[in-house]
Amino acid sequence: MDRLKGNALMLAGALLAAIYLFPLYWMYVTALKSGTEIMAYPPSFWPADPTPIFGEVWGRLQMASYLKNSVLIAGGTTALVVLFGTGCAYAMSRVKSVWIDIALFAVLMMQVLPSSLMVTPIFVFFNQIGLMDWPRGAVILAQAAKMLPLYIVLVRAAFLQVPAELEEAALVDGNSRVGAFLSIMVPLARNGILVTGVLVFLQSFGEYVYARSMIGARELQPATVGLQSFMGPNSSDWSGVMSYAAIYVTPVLAIFVLLQRRIVSGLTSGALK
Amino acid sequence: MPALSLPRSFRPGLTLGGLIDGRGFDTLLVMTALGYLAVFSAWPLVYNLIMSLQEVDLFSLASFDRPFVGLGNYRDVLGAPEMPQIFRNTAVFVAASVSLQLAIGFALALFFELRFPGASFLRGLFLAGWIMPPLVVGAIWSWILAGDFGVLNYALKSLGIIDENIFWLSDPARSLWSVIIANIWLGVPFNLILLSVGLAGIPEDLYEAAEMDGATRVQRFFTITLPLMRAQLGAVISLGTIFTLQQFDLFAGLTQGGPSNSSNVMQYWSWQLSFQEYQIGLGSVISVLMIGVVVGLAAIYVRSTRHEQVY
Amino acid sequence: MGLNKTAKAALLATSAGLLPLAAAAEQTVLDLWTIDDPGEYHYVLAKEFEEANPGIKINVRTVQFGDMINDLARAIAAGDAPDVTYVDNPEVALLAARGLLLDIAPMIEDSDIVNRDDIFPGPLSSVTWKDGIYGLPRGANTIALYYNADMFRAAGLDPDAPPATWAELKAAAEALSDPDDNVYGLAFSAIATEEGTFQFLPWLQMAGGDYDHVDTEGGAEALAFWKSLLDAKLASPDTLIRSQWDSTATFNAGNAAMAISGPWELPRMAKEATFDYRAAMLPVPEAGATRASALGEGDNVILASTNHPAEAFRFLEFLYAQMPRVWNEFGYLPAAEVAVENPENEAIYRVFEESMKYARNRGPSPEWPQVSKAIQGAMQSALTGQATPEEALATAQGKIDRVLD
Repeated sequence: MDRLKGNALMLAGALLAAIYLFPLYWMYVTALKSGTEIMAYPPSFWPADPTPIFGEVWGRLQMASYLKNSVLIAGGTTALVVLFGTGCAYAMSRVKSVWIDIALFAVLMMQVLPSSLMVTPIFVFFNQIGLMDWPRGAVILAQAAKMLPLYIVLVRAAFLQVPAELEEAALVDGNSRVGAFLSIMVPLARNGILVTGVLVFLQSFGEYVYARSMIGARELQPATVGLQSFMGPNSSDWSGVMSYAAIYVTPVLAIFVLLQRRIVSGLTSGALK
Repeated sequence: MPALSLPRSFRPGLTLGGLIDGRGFDTLLVMTALGYLAVFSAWPLVYNLIMSLQEVDLFSLASFDRPFVGLGNYRDVLGAPEMPQIFRNTAVFVAASVSLQLAIGFALALFFELRFPGASFLRGLFLAGWIMPPLVVGAIWSWILAGDFGVLNYALKSLGIIDENIFWLSDPARSLWSVIIANIWLGVPFNLILLSVGLAGIPEDLYEAAEMDGATRVQRFFTITLPLMRAQLGAVISLGTIFTLQQFDLFAGLTQGGPSNSSNVMQYWSWQLSFQEYQIGLGSVISVLMIGVVVGLAAIYVRSTRHEQVY
Repeated sequence: MGLNKTAKAALLATSAGLLPLAAAAEQTVLDLWTIDDPGEYHYVLAKEFEEANPGIKINVRTVQFGDMINDLARAIAAGDAPDVTYVDNPEVALLAARGLLLDIAPMIEDSDIVNRDDIFPGPLSSVTWKDGIYGLPRGANTIALYYNADMFRAAGLDPDAPPATWAELKAAAEALSDPDDNVYGLAFSAIATEEGTFQFLPWLQMAGGDYDHVDTEGGAEALAFWKSLLDAKLASPDTLIRSQWDSTATFNAGNAAMAISGPWELPRMAKEATFDYRAAMLPVPEAGATRASALGEGDNVILASTNHPAEAFRFLEFLYAQMPRVWNEFGYLPAAEVAVENPENEAIYRVFEESMKYARNRGPSPEWPQVSKAIQGAMQSALTGQATPEEALATAQGKIDRVLD
């Protein structure tokens, strides 16, 4: 590819990204605007008098505890999903059977309803078996069920790309099924597992409905619940809300952009070829 | 569809050794995950099904000792004057969201596959949509789309595309599309990353060989890219459909299904009936109908494509 | 939620360092749910109550306004309901009719602090169900017409004679509306939520209808009047999806010359509105017609499941006794005959105080949310032109009749 063309494409890519990211930009700008400026017309693309209140919002809302809980819930969910989902995805990629198709179909169909419609039965059920004594654990269990289908479908696709001959060779070499699965298949599908795990983590990091209904104590709540609690119906502190959102999103975004580079380079030069 | 006989490869192992080493290993792996889902996902659905046949009061949630009303709730929901409109909205919402997300996501994935300098970094930026909490996305889009002071109207006016402000959220002809726009924004990253992963998995030499055979770019796309992306496309479409059906926060944040149900969809209506009007029996009916329709459509689709499946 | 009450109390006590170590053992703990945030009514007064009653500890938890009933239902199902909670006034009947609230009528009889005859009829009706009294109003609010007196002067209108009838309101809105400058004549809310019902009911009531009786000639006139405001672009089309708070924000920003909303707007208005704002009573259909106004705010109620009814009632009495403070400190109107000393925003206070005399309860009906939804449906289908006002109200009447009988 010649350089000129490369630069032109880069420019086009940057433009597309800029258009796409406009809502994100709007979040940051709004975080810096005053109350009336947010509603002003014509809208200002740069705040007249940028007043960062990130530190104040962080301290006043004790965001550290919220974020810690978000990380715990997202991490727990991801661990549980990887634990239950990887083997299932693998088996579903290896066995060709109408039963597997039916199982896959059922897994997907169980997730048609939004959390807001699932939460009441789950709440009643968890309460009856005493799970509500561990509210964060309860959220992790419920959220893992929600994320499992996504994980199974995507990781199954990753396993499908691993040639079956590699596993058969390992079995011929005297590996057990478990051994071949853990030492050959999982490493070869690791990029798919990693990407999907990250997707699951991020979705769970933004989980709101279950946490709001199941976690009463403020010190156990994740950041989404904290956010909602101060963007109620009569919220006027939009710049505060957006500052909160910016604090919440930026580190994840940064980590993800970096991680994404690694994932992509891993994919393009990886062991799959 | 072939007869439902257990193929050789899936015969369950009968011994403990079989479970960890034989074919039973696969069964064990699948059953563990399915068991988990049966407890945490299937149970709420069954619960919904039972409630859809009962007269449920918000305050009798914990006990099953409630009067059964047979199909009365179904009659009420199916006979409701707003039902046809909401059903149509749901179909439009899902079809438009999924197809446009896929088209845009695929186009972007192909574009970034051109590997120009900075491509992977720029692609990474698109993932912002995936990590934004939907609550915040709803709030941001409601400002962008606001009729009187929204920045979208301002931009369109400045570019001379429109003369009069468009009331994206309160004009009944547009409100559903406003939610669709925001939902596409949310869904593009997911399509982009998964299709990128799929594209990266296609061996380069296939393209080189085809190029040597004189295949054009378009031909290569249709003969190599599309067939090899089947699994990814299938995954993205089915998951995209499910995410779209699950979409709830955007309706809550943007239009609340209004004005006058013009942007209402089944999942939001179900929630309104259950948790705003406290007619949980009716809300459950809609949940059950949603699952029924989706399962039905998916089964038809699976059946019709079954003979050509290439796993 | 899972922690038992003593453990919760201990946790809070250690984290906040509020209690002397010895006191933790013998305390009664009351769980209180509220829609307030820290620093507002329930948080402030719970603290004062604790100081005055060292034997009682109040655990305050914030619940979103729109989630209150659902969260209560879940907590009741889980056997983990609070002792005392805030409930929006049309929803008291919903809970009381299901036997979930404690009838405090006998306790009020014996109370030295609460005299039921002092409570205004609207708020009293909001806590009454059948023969019982199921709560005490914490305050009240209602809606009135805010207007931008500077814009009145600029448009040649007399800021001392705000519109008093519907016709005058429309004429003023026409005079004040300035599309080139992004100024609408009026901001109000016709959103399809309880807020929309709250805004529309007084118009219906002034025209001779009520919540159980919407299909009236006057009701159709009221709805047609609203539609004429929207059709003439005297109010923003986004009125259909804006809450009262968001609508009034456009008034504060100078994008609407008048706004219909309640006293909860005042603190923000004081900060953001850089003009001479005033308030007037809601205009009536024609001079001399019956007045009506919406009754807002909520009630403090005791759950029937409480283990500490006496302490809970003592807390309710304490809250009730603070009625003279609610205007200046928390922005509500008193719901009972009390003397408010040196009210802030006195001119506006007097308008709201007068409007309170006409404020009517929504309901009471144990199925209020369905009634309200029917009214919202009528409002929105008429305003979007999907049905005529008459048709829309007839449809709503059909639904309401089914719900109420």
